[in-house]
Amino acid sequence: MTFILIAAGAIICAVMAIRAGRLLTSALWLAATSALVALLMYMLGAPEVAVIELSVGAGLVTILFVFAINISGEEATNLKSALPKPLAWVSILIFFILLGYFSLPAFLQPLPEAQIIPLKTVLWEYRSLDVVLQAVLIFAGVLGLIGLLAEEKPGQEKEHQA
Amino acid sequence: MTLSISEIILITVILLLGIGFYGLLAVRNLIKVIVSLQIMVKGMMLGFVLAGRLAGNVSLGQSLAILVIVVDTIVAIIGLALAVQIRRYAGSLDVKALTTLKR
Amino acid sequence: MAPTLILLIIGVPWAGALLIWWIGDTRSHLQHTLAVLFSLAAAVASILLIPFAQSGTALTLPVGGVFGDFTFVADGMGIFLAAIAAIIGCFAVIFSVNYMHGEAQLGRYYALVLFFIGAMAGLVLASSLLLMFFFWEITALCSYALIAFNNDDPKAVYGGIKALLMTQLGGIGLLVGAILAYSNLGSYDLNLFIKNSGSLPAGALAVAAFGFLIAAAAKSAQFPFQTWLPDAMEAPTPISALIHAATMVNAGVYLLARFYPAFESVPGWKITVVIVGVITALLAGMMALVSNDLKRVLAYSTVSQLGYMVYAIGAGGIFASQFHLLSHSIFKALLFLAAGAVIHSIGTRDMRLMGALGRQMPVTRTVFVIGALALAGIPILNGFWSKELILEAGLLHGPVWAYAIMVFTAGLTALYTFRCVWMVFYGKARSSLHGHDAGIMMKFALIPLAFGALTTWILAGPFSHLLETSLPFHEIEAATTMRFIQEVISAPATLVALGAIALGLAAWWQRENLASLTRAFQGIGKAAEKSFGFEAINTAVTTAFEQGAETLRNTQTGLLSWNILGILAGLIIVLAILAAGG
Repeated sequence: MTFILIAAGAIICAVMAIRAGRLLTSALWLAATSALVALLMYMLGAPEVAVIELSVGAGLVTILFVFAINISGEEATNLKSALPKPLAWVSILIFFILLGYFSLPAFLQPLPEAQIIPLKTVLWEYRSLDVVLQAVLIFAGVLGLIGLLAEEKPGQEKEHQA
Repeated sequence: MTLSISEIILITVILLLGIGFYGLLAVRNLIKVIVSLQIMVKGMMLGFVLAGRLAGNVSLGQSLAILVIVVDTIVAIIGLALAVQIRRYAGSLDVKALTTLKR
Repeated sequence: MAPTLILLIIGVPWAGALLIWWIGDTRSHLQHTLAVLFSLAAAVASILLIPFAQSGTALTLPVGGVFGDFTFVADGMGIFLAAIAAIIGCFAVIFSVNYMHGEAQLGRYYALVLFFIGAMAGLVLASSLLLMFFFWEITALCSYALIAFNNDDPKAVYGGIKALLMTQLGGIGLLVGAILAYSNLGSYDLNLFIKNSGSLPAGALAVAAFGFLIAAAAKSAQFPFQTWLPDAMEAPTPISALIHAATMVNAGVYLLARFYPAFESVPGWKITVVIVGVITALLAGMMALVSNDLKRVLAYSTVSQLGYMVYAIGAGGIFASQFHLLSHSIFKALLFLAAGAVIHSIGTRDMRLMGALGRQMPVTRTVFVIGALALAGIPILNGFWSKELILEAGLLHGPVWAYAIMVFTAGLTALYTFRCVWMVFYGKARSSLHGHDAGIMMKFALIPLAFGALTTWILAGPFSHLLETSLPFHEIEAATTMRFIQEVISAPATLVALGAIALGLAAWWQRENLASLTRAFQGIGKAAEKSFGFEAINTAVTTAFEQGAETLRNTQTGLLSWNILGILAGLIIVLAILAAGG
């Protein structure tokens, strides 16, 4: 029962994040979704990733969102959709049906008891390439961020204004 | 009719993916596009953990989910930085203002 | 010790690349110094690695179970190519100190050069096919970025993109071969692949063999991909030397030589390799004869000499091809760097404006002539010995018509080499351009290379020993240098080849008397100037692509929502197909 409540909460938060009129509200609903998803993951027996998700997904990313919204300013967000709404609805519906048709039968079995392989064994030994890649990705992300947010040089600024 | 835990989670995953997709289709503000992307990725992350649990190896699912978190955070950071730059450059966050490459 | 050295050869240039890029262009003096130091360190590491030659895996980097481990070998072929890349690369960097003095964006230049050197060393030392493919693509990327280094010059950008497209096309062949090997053997290890190549299905092995041949032809600018290398001449001259002698084009020859034991038995493969080599050598030789751009002449001569190496591999002369690769790297680096000194001092590449430069720049002239003699295959210089070994291998194991064409090409080589030397350094001055001799750092790079062109043939014995002991599958016979000398001198093939070279020279001395003959061959000359229609084919292909893309452009709205709908539709179609297929 708790599962249903939390899952429903996560979905409602997600819907509200899309529907919200203001960007800031949207970001806060996203943070709530993230927190509830983290809670679900914890209940599934994945505490480590839940903690990371809570701190990074709900914490860091939200702060970044608030930061970015502050810089770029609120804008009227309820613009009319660029796509005909029925088209969007129909394609999403087909998507739901097909995905449900495929995955639900496969998941009908009850959950087996979780095997105890410590996360650190899997992370550092079985999937060490992933860890290396993550380090590279973080590095690349930082470089990209520096490049994007670099202060413009005086010469370039003139070009932009012109 | 009672749903088992795995079914509940699976439906949550599918719904989160669908909501994210709908957001990408319907939303025109760049920052909200990134919000929609985040919702999709949250669904995927939950899916990885569930799959790991069902396969009896939660740790593998977790390590994949961690990879997704890293990638997703970087996507968010770069996406937001891009959005800020686009706002500076084009004066708007509307995706319709970004079709200049076409012309 | 060997694992550390392997890591050093790849890691030191890459670390240097990051550092030089990071310290920024405001401290150009420091950048020059650091670039020389880092490339020198890599060269020293590569020389130190030579005594550690061994067959089998030397270094394993575990990266989890999915891709297999990343493994490196330290066998003769890999070590020697890594050494060439690091040492010639080092000379190119030393030369750049003078050549690039005062240029803008030195950080980008040196970072890419060092990245290039490290990637090439990694390519030849890697023993995992997947890792090899990564390094393969990194070298393609670096060559693109360096050819298009002057990125405000549309010709340079055109040349760079052409190189990138062609080598990428070839890279697909390598990837297909690697994936086939993996799917049949369950491992990316290349020694395992060479050993068990017989257990692959014949069809898969043939696809892999020809895929690798395409990859090698694209990388080494062989027929029908030979057009990118001459256009790569827009790069700064040290880069040309790097691409032509140390990195890049050697990779294709390396690939063919490395996998020769695996593909030897594929029907039609060897003869195809021979044909590719022969056609390339001949066509490029003729194009070199009519070109008036100093760097283009050298570029065509590279293509032609690579044709020799490919031909030797097709004829089974692995040692001869690798030995010629060694000789060629040295004399071609020498020629390019000397040409760079000429271009740097007078500021043009058009040979019709040069002439009588020898008196103004004696050192450059001397080293250029040494390099040219080696290229032409004049006795005592290293090019002579290795070319004779190739021709001998071709006569013993290859078809006779191929041998005849290659001997003819040897004469052609002598002819265009002397034409080039004459037009640049001798004869009458054809313009008022005034040259000055090479700078001090240029001389530092040129003189050791000239010394190398005179002496590296002495290494034939130790080199064959190195290859024999560490390459279990290639069946290379070691012999002493004396034995090689006897073999070359006593073989009748040598006299034939020398005769052809002498005829080539005679044709140049008697060029006025042969004027009527020249006119008879004008048609071929015209065709050669237009690179035998291959440029036209390239242009047609690119135009067709551009028009197709222009038509397809109408389907693009440029609007994010519609693009996402496309992605969603693709996903739905995949799911629907799965549903229909049960």
